[in-house]
Amino acid sequence: MAGLKDKYCIVGVGETEYSKRSGRSTRAMAVEAVKTAMADAGLKASDVDGMMSYQSGDSTPANWVAPDLGLRLNFYMDVFGGGSSSEALVGLAMGAIESGMCNTVAIFRSMNGYSDFRIGGTGARAAQPVRGLDLAQMPFGMRSAGQSFAPTFMRHMYEYGTTSEQVARVRVAHSTHASQNPKALLKERVTVADVVGSRWITKPLHLLDCCVETDNATCIIVTSTDRARDLKQKPAYVMGVAGRVNKTRTDFHWAAGPISRVAGYYAKDIVFGQAGIKPEDVDVTGSYDAFTFTTMLQLEEYGFCKKSEGGQYVSSGTIELGGRRPNNTSGGHLCEGYTHGMSMVIENVRQLRGRVDDYCPGWAEGKHSYDYSPGKCRQVKDAKITMNLGWAMPPTGSALILHS
Amino acid sequence: MANVEYRGMNLVIPENDSEWREHFKLARGHKLMLRACKACGLMRYPPSHGCPWCATLEWEWKEVSGKGHIYSYEVVHHAIQPGFKEWTPYAVVLVELDEQRGKPTPDEALRIIANLVTPDGKPEAEAEVAIGKRVRVVFQDLTADFALPQFTLTDEPPVGRVWSLPG
Repeated sequence: MAGLKDKYCIVGVGETEYSKRSGRSTRAMAVEAVKTAMADAGLKASDVDGMMSYQSGDSTPANWVAPDLGLRLNFYMDVFGGGSSSEALVGLAMGAIESGMCNTVAIFRSMNGYSDFRIGGTGARAAQPVRGLDLAQMPFGMRSAGQSFAPTFMRHMYEYGTTSEQVARVRVAHSTHASQNPKALLKERVTVADVVGSRWITKPLHLLDCCVETDNATCIIVTSTDRARDLKQKPAYVMGVAGRVNKTRTDFHWAAGPISRVAGYYAKDIVFGQAGIKPEDVDVTGSYDAFTFTTMLQLEEYGFCKKSEGGQYVSSGTIELGGRRPNNTSGGHLCEGYTHGMSMVIENVRQLRGRVDDYCPGWAEGKHSYDYSPGKCRQVKDAKITMNLGWAMPPTGSALILHS
Repeated sequence: MANVEYRGMNLVIPENDSEWREHFKLARGHKLMLRACKACGLMRYPPSHGCPWCATLEWEWKEVSGKGHIYSYEVVHHAIQPGFKEWTPYAVVLVELDEQRGKPTPDEALRIIANLVTPDGKPEAEAEVAIGKRVRVVFQDLTADFALPQFTLTDEPPVGRVWSLPG
């Protein structure tokens, strides 16, 4: 990122309640999330002149959201796509500002992901005809994300001896983190036995290896470091960003290379190169935990451990609060709620501010106990550098490195 | 235009679907045909217009043996599509075909997604599914001009280590 390191930052974040029945439109939720993020940043309507969103025919476009907040936009763009868009759109927002098209961009994702359009293909998506490239897998009963990713996970177990019990520790860690998060949908701490004892969805995925489909909207506001100076919050500066990096053969990624290799293999050099840091310099990670396995694969591919040792890494305690490098301190998609990647970026911004919204009475003033027993604190002490690992599919991913 | 109802799904192939309009029709003739590049000769799946390796747009159909082994798999216990509920648990297999293994680079191969079925077209027993086991193509006829290529186990020696998920 020639010359852009530290030139842009995230200045506001916000979200709606995580629920399984929002009872309202994606427009209504988006408006609330953007308004909350603007208030968080200390921005008024005339300050926000850019808006971006991503969706797959299941949400409200930016130009229908902006009017409800009195915004007149100089730029907006709605991107088709899902996971890994959060990080990519931060990079695109920086480009929009850098090019002079606008000054400050609100990025949102709004979805009734449980009560209406379910990712797995049930709900409003169920009646859609199967055509085009979907004919290569859907007629064989491979439709949902879990069904599409499972052979990748299985092959990793075959090649490297990764076990269900090791990977279950991702769920254990994230459930522990969620127990410190008043916003989380699933606050109960679970054990390895709970995970591997839960019913099969599609082998090797148990129910508790899968995330929790959710209704919600989320927002991240990006502006220049110059503009951020007189805003309310301590900025989270962008050190590096990689957007939707791919393996070859994204039409049918199973044809290319070892299928246990995922996009982070290619994204890591871009994002670490821009940031000028190494994996060991990162204090907190935010993985796209649509499944326990996606966390393991990403941490491994980005070099937090050796390729093949992902199972040992996620079961070593490193990724838990109090460990060397906690992952998804909010509970992530597995436990806090599924947001298509946004909430893990939001959480990392709050970690860098030192103002994670846990059960510590003084969290808003940055007063934390660092007591990680149930129902207490989830602030990581002195978190200075965070990294988000965005996942769309095994062959496609994004990444974002922030610092305080 | 093919418009096939299968397990509650509407499989649609309009006449202008130049990738797919012939594939399932050829399968109905009980042949597994792949596209081969007229320049470099490499085959690819799914059907596509350009060669992934040399970008040549000219291609021809080439029949393959339909033999291979299970490269990876899953066993679906919780069906998403209602029409698959009666089929659970069913195996989805990623089959690596014998032709073109390790070409043009060592980890590349012709791989295809299908169900692992018994010779009479029922889902294969879960205990029988394993990486490394040999399979051959069988055809599930759905209409007069549409069949799904599926795979069934053979008794040939396995490729490499035979492995299935413990438990």
